[in-house]
Formats: sequence, C-alpha cells, structure tokens
Amino acid sequence: MARSFRLYEKKRGNRRTGSKRFGSLGEALFFAVFFLLGCAGMVFLLATRLIPEWRVNHAFIETTCTVIATDGGKTRIAYHVSGEPVPRVATAGSTAIGEPDKAEGAGDFAQDGKYPCWYDPAYPQTVVLARGYTWWLWLTLSVPISLLLIGGGGLVYTVVSLGKSVERRAARVKRSGPRDSSEETEVAQPAFPHVPPAGRITDSPGTELAYRLPMAGSPAWTLGLWLTACLLWNGIVSLFAVVAVNSLWAGAPDWVLIVFLIPFLAIGIGLIVVFVRQLVLATAIGPTLLEISEQPLYPGRTCDLFLSQTGRLRIHWLEVLLACDEEATYRHGTNTRTENHRVYQQSVFRRERLEVQQGMAFTARFAAEVPPGAMHSFKSGHNEINWKFVVRGRVAGWPDFQRAFPVIVRPNGLGINKS
Amino acid sequence: MSGPEDPSGWANPFSTRFTRPGGIPYRFPPGTSAELLVERLAESGWQGQILGAHGSGKSALVAALIPAIERAGRQVVLVELHDQQRRLPDDWLQRADPSRPAVVIVDGCEQLAPWNRSAMKRSCRRRGLGLLVTAHRSLGLPDLFRTSVDLALAQEIVRSLLGEQQSLIAPDEVKQCFERHQGNLREALFDLYDLYEERRPPGPAV
Amino acid sequence: MKEPLVRIRLDGNGRVHRPEETLSGEYRLDGISPEEIKAVEISVLWHTEGKGDEDLAVHDFRRLSAESGDRIDVRRPGRFSTALPNSPLSYRGVIVKIHWCVRVRVFLARGREVLGEVPFRLGEVLPPRSATFWARARAAEEDSHSRLSPSEEDRHSCLSPEGLLSPQADPAAAGEGLASVGEEVPTAATDPPDSAGNGHPPGEDHPEPKAEATAP
Repeated sequence: MARSFRLYEKKRGNRRTGSKRFGSLGEALFFAVFFLLGCAGMVFLLATRLIPEWRVNHAFIETTCTVIATDGGKTRIAYHVSGEPVPRVATAGSTAIGEPDKAEGAGDFAQDGKYPCWYDPAYPQTVVLARGYTWWLWLTLSVPISLLLIGGGGLVYTVVSLGKSVERRAARVKRSGPRDSSEETEVAQPAFPHVPPAGRITDSPGTELAYRLPMAGSPAWTLGLWLTACLLWNGIVSLFAVVAVNSLWAGAPDWVLIVFLIPFLAIGIGLIVVFVRQLVLATAIGPTLLEISEQPLYPGRTCDLFLSQTGRLRIHWLEVLLACDEEATYRHGTNTRTENHRVYQQSVFRRERLEVQQGMAFTARFAAEVPPGAMHSFKSGHNEINWKFVVRGRVAGWPDFQRAFPVIVRPNGLGINKS
Repeated sequence: MSGPEDPSGWANPFSTRFTRPGGIPYRFPPGTSAELLVERLAESGWQGQILGAHGSGKSALVAALIPAIERAGRQVVLVELHDQQRRLPDDWLQRADPSRPAVVIVDGCEQLAPWNRSAMKRSCRRRGLGLLVTAHRSLGLPDLFRTSVDLALAQEIVRSLLGEQQSLIAPDEVKQCFERHQGNLREALFDLYDLYEERRPPGPAV
Repeated sequence: MKEPLVRIRLDGNGRVHRPEETLSGEYRLDGISPEEIKAVEISVLWHTEGKGDEDLAVHDFRRLSAESGDRIDVRRPGRFSTALPNSPLSYRGVIVKIHWCVRVRVFLARGREVLGEVPFRLGEVLPPRSATFWARARAAEEDSHSRLSPSEEDRHSCLSPEGLLSPQADPAAAGEGLASVGEEVPTAATDPPDSAGNGHPPGEDHPEPKAEATAP
C-alpha cells in the first residue's frame, strides 16, 4: 500500500495533547489490539478450517472404500490403510474436517458400492469421500488480514514516529532559522479574546519548517467505521452461513435458512467492497504533509510553507489555496443548521503534470501572505471565522482530492495599516 | 435605516437577530388573539398542544403567548428542546416557583422519548402544573392551535422586515423562495438573507 | 413631557478605534426625572449578527444603582472609558458580522427601561465583499509571486519562472495544455465546486459558491 495511516489524529478544539509519550503509547496500544485480534482470527481460521482443508486436498492418501450404510446423510464406509483394514467403520466426511463422527454428508452413495476416498495418514480414521475448496472460507481471510494490516501498520508507524520526532525537531528548528514565532511566548503576547489559540498547531513540530499543520478530519475514522460495520455484520452472518453450508454438505439443506441468508450475505459482500474501495482510495493518494514557518499568522505578513505529497500518482494538477470561511450555526426548535460561506480564496501554489513515484515524495517550498486588512480567526458560541490552507489535486484514475489544514490568523492592531 | 432597531445601519433585516421567534410579532388570524388562546388553554385545564409544520411559527406563537399567560396570573417555565435532545433538562421542575401556579411550555416536545414524555405529563399532573407543548404531530393533549403560513402572510412579514428597502427584493422573489421551501418560512427567510446581502447598498462607515 | 431618551457621544468624533486604545465618551439622560431612576448600566460589548444565533460578550460593564447610593445626576453627562481589547475586531462579513457598541440602559420605576446604543468600529478590517480588499489581495499575491526566485521554484519543476508569476484567474484555464489524447481537460464545470480563481472574490469570475446548509 502507498501509505500507512493512523486512526487517531489530532482533534479539533482547544484540547491540548498531554504527554506526547503517553499519547503515543496509547496509540500503540490501540493498534496492538487490532493486530492481536487479527492474529487470533488468522490462527483460528487457519487451524480449524484452512489448513485442514489444504491437507485434505494435498496430504490425504487415496484409497478405495466400500459403503456399508447411508443413514440420514451419514455415510459409513470400510476401507484399507496400507493394505490393512481400518479397525472400525468410519463415517466419511466431505472436505469439511473435524470430528469424523459428525455426519456431514457425502453425496449419493449406494450401499455396498465401491468409491475412492482419501484418508489422513496421520490419523487414518479421518476420511473424506470428496475433495475441493470452500471458497467463502478464503474470503473470510480478508477480515483478519485487514486487522493485521491496520494494527501492524499502525504499530510500526507509531514506533517509528516515537523515535524520530524529538531529535529531528531539534535539528530542523536549528536549521530553519529565526522565523519561529513560538519564541514569542504566550506570556509576552497580549490576550486575543475569541481568537482560537494556536497551541493545537504549535504542538506539532515540523521536519522542514517549524510546525506541521494538522489536517482537518482524517479518512482513517471513516475507514474505521466501515471496517467495524464490515466485521460485525460479516462476523454474525458467517456464523449462520457456516450452519447453512454444513447443512448443504450434509445432504439435508436448510432452504429456509439459505434463502433468508442470501440478502444478508449480499449486504456483507457489499460492505467488504465498500471498505476495500475506501481503503484503496485513502491509501492510493498518500499522505499530504504541510508545514509552516510560523504560527499564528497576521494580516499582511508572509509565511513559508513546505508541501510533501506521497503516493504512486500521476497528477494532472496540484494546488494549494489559502481560504477563509465563515460558519454560522442556528438552533431553534428542532432545527439545527450550520452554514458555511467562503469569503476568501487565493491560490498560493500550483503545479501541473507531476508524476510521483512509489516510495518518493513530491516536495515544494513556497510562500503565502494573508492579505492586508483581512479578518482574523474568530470563534464564539455559534459563529466562526476559519482560515485554512487547502491542498487539492486532480489525479489520473482517482476522484479529485482535497485536504484542509486549519491555521490561526491573529489581528495585528488596525488591520490594513500594519504589515 | 434597514431593519428594526439597527443603530449600526449594517444589519441585514433577515438576520436571525430579527427573525428569531419573538423577533417578528406573531400575526394572529382574524378572530384570534393571544388572550383568546390563553382563555382556551385555561378552559382545557391549562393543557394544550400547538401543532404545525417546520417553520410555520410554533415557536413564534409561544413567544407571543408567554406574556399573555403571565398576565393571566401564571408563571411560565419554558423548555426549548433542540435537535437530538431526548430528555428534559434535569432542573426543569425546579424552575417553577411552587408558591405560584405555573404552565410548563415544552417547545419541540416530539423530540422527547415516549417514556420521558409520559413521565413529564405525570409530573405535571402530580404537581398541578399546566402543560403546553409544540409538536409536528399530536401528542395526545387538547389542540390549542394549528400554525400555518401562507404566501400572503410571508409577504407581509418580509415587507415589515425590509422597511424602507422594499425595492431590494421583489414580491415575486419572495413567492419563489416561499414555494421553493414548500411553505417553510424560516428557510425562506434564510434564502432572502443571501439575496439581500448580495444587493444591499454599502453601509455607513461604522 | 419629553420622551425619556439616552444620548451617547463617543470621544473622537466617530473615528475608528484601535485595539488597546482607550474608548471614552459620555451619556446624557433626557426627559427622565432623577426620582424615577433606579439604576443605570453602561456596557461596552460586541455581538454577532448574520445567519447564526447571536453571540454577545460584554467587554466592560458598570452599574450605578440608586439603592447602592451611587450618584446619578441627570443634569450632567455621565462619563465612561475603557481600554479596548485586541479582538474581536469589527467585521462586516457575509453570514457572520461582528458589531461593537456602547449601550446605556436606564432602569426606571414601575419596571420601565430606556435603552440607548451607539455603535463604534474597532479595527479596520476590510469587508470581504469590498473592492479595496480584493485589490489589496491581488497586490499582495503579485508581490508574493515576484519574490519567488527561479532557483527555488525550478527545484521541482521544469516550468519557467514567467509561468509562475502570472496569477491564474481561472483554474480551468490551467488545464489548457494538459490534455493529450484521451485525457480530460479540466473545465469550469468539472473543477472542484469551490473553485473561484486566484485573488478574485467568489462571484467575480464565477457564480458565487452557494453557501451549503448542513444539518448535523
């Protein structure tokens, strides 16, 4: 996959992350749970279904058996192992392996008829009258594989980031020079009522410039939701599916159950398709990183930006906008409506016809200026003015993408007169 | 000066400040008044419901009835339920002064979960509190009034909001807005806000 | 008998006020007899207006109460002054506006009230719809492009510096030259819906992006 992704991103609001180390540990724990669930699911499927089925088709030894009796779907046979008769009459299974005493049905077999059968050389009492693969069992592998990928990928990313960020920050801040407004302490600055604090942005140091801007919203939450829905739905449906399939193989199909299950199976498959599609969409267009030389910003002042875009992509155009949106929320009666209106938009960077190779990143540095006389960021109970950088692009073969990175603009006194 | 009470001269007359319930005086149909409705409410043992579609003026009517209820000697405890609010605030009963008769008004009552609604009715009955609710569908209380807005009323309200700036928005445009929102006056007024904003004359320096 | 009236006058003759400056002025109570006055409240506050619920915050508040023994002399103007904050600045947006004002509320006997209010402007934020704002924004953008050195930009691009310096009026226009056989040329119809051009207000080159009402 083109990217690893985190289910936990910075959240909006005034909440500051506490200990970074504790946060990373929590994150690691979160992904570890997914990883363990994936491992457990994989082990269960392999041990109880997949490996036994594989052995039936590859390791079992063929011989000839005589059907002693067929009774209620059970087929009792007698056969020889290495020329010696098996001590007791065995009940033949099909490809489903488990306790040979369980009647699983083996199709139509005439009494006293001779048929090929296959037995387990390690345990000759285990015998089947038919071989093949159960296709839907292999499909269920997608569930533990997804868990393993999410958990494992997230774990690796967390561990790697934990080790890197502090050291790299110290080195980069030294290199990027004095355009770091974090040196202006909050104590020295007068208060800015109803201007959101820049703290949630200055929490995250950059590698090229002073700060890495957090992205508004994360596709990982959507993915997590779809995955949860997929797992829950298919998990429950598969239990019934096993029962239905077993009844089929036993020769006594439960048609009511089978017919009842069809729409549920269809929905389950649909959920898997949707999840896979979301996953591919989210991972094909790799992470977009945007770093900034200073925060907060001021009208009439320029800041430097660093953009990094990964993913194996053929990009028709890639653009960065500086935008300002007004947001107003009205609540009365049963009605809550939130309306957004873009009042400013300026392109600060644009490239066309790019090709980003696998494992590499397209990077660029550029400058942006908040226009003189612009309104500052504002937040009150029901009204907001939000500034953001928007990275958007058109990629061959994929829907256009757009990612927003909120920034804080403070007033600088009189507005247009100060630059 | 645009809009009522606008010292700044900036105001859009369709701002929520002017159009929120209570901001626009409720226009009673001929033969009805706040006092008459309060009398009817009293006759039904201070139990009643106001029914109407979204944006038809239920909350505005409540705002108009509150002073009349208070003049009739009853204190009013107003509870406004917003989207997704399935239970009453914890202190809703404590808001009523036990020494005076009171009417509890629950705006948006159908949002309450059925068991919370039943519990609320029981509590009001036990304490001798009046109960007036607004809803989109009947909740089993005596009908007090059914709100509705027609085009003529919408035009009248828009005219009163525009004041001296009638030329900015034509009656046909009001009609289109109103019909586009299928009689939901609140949504129509939001659209007229945008229209006014596009056409407004430049405001004063302050 | 004259109607009771509150007149407020701000020092500075209606000029724009700056953050951290002192806002001062006076108020007069006309047509009000001293015996009627129970209290006077002087507030310096801001409130929002627009399509959202109104928010309000009081920056400075003073209450003079006859019961508390405060002297309220209707024959002479009352004075007020306060140091203005850094934010929020006055703003004439589209769906969000911020107004500052001084309010004087006089509480009279028998529950009556008289209210006087005078607006003032804090800061000189340009309204987003004003031509001045967009002219300055364009100038800032052109200035920003002219500062980019060719070496910085050519690091990742084979485009000439001249290709970068001219601000694009229409992202759709940037699609010209992209097309090759079989490729789609971005047009205004297919560009992202919030495309409004560089340094141009929404609506100038394109239909204004419709505000989206989203219910949670």
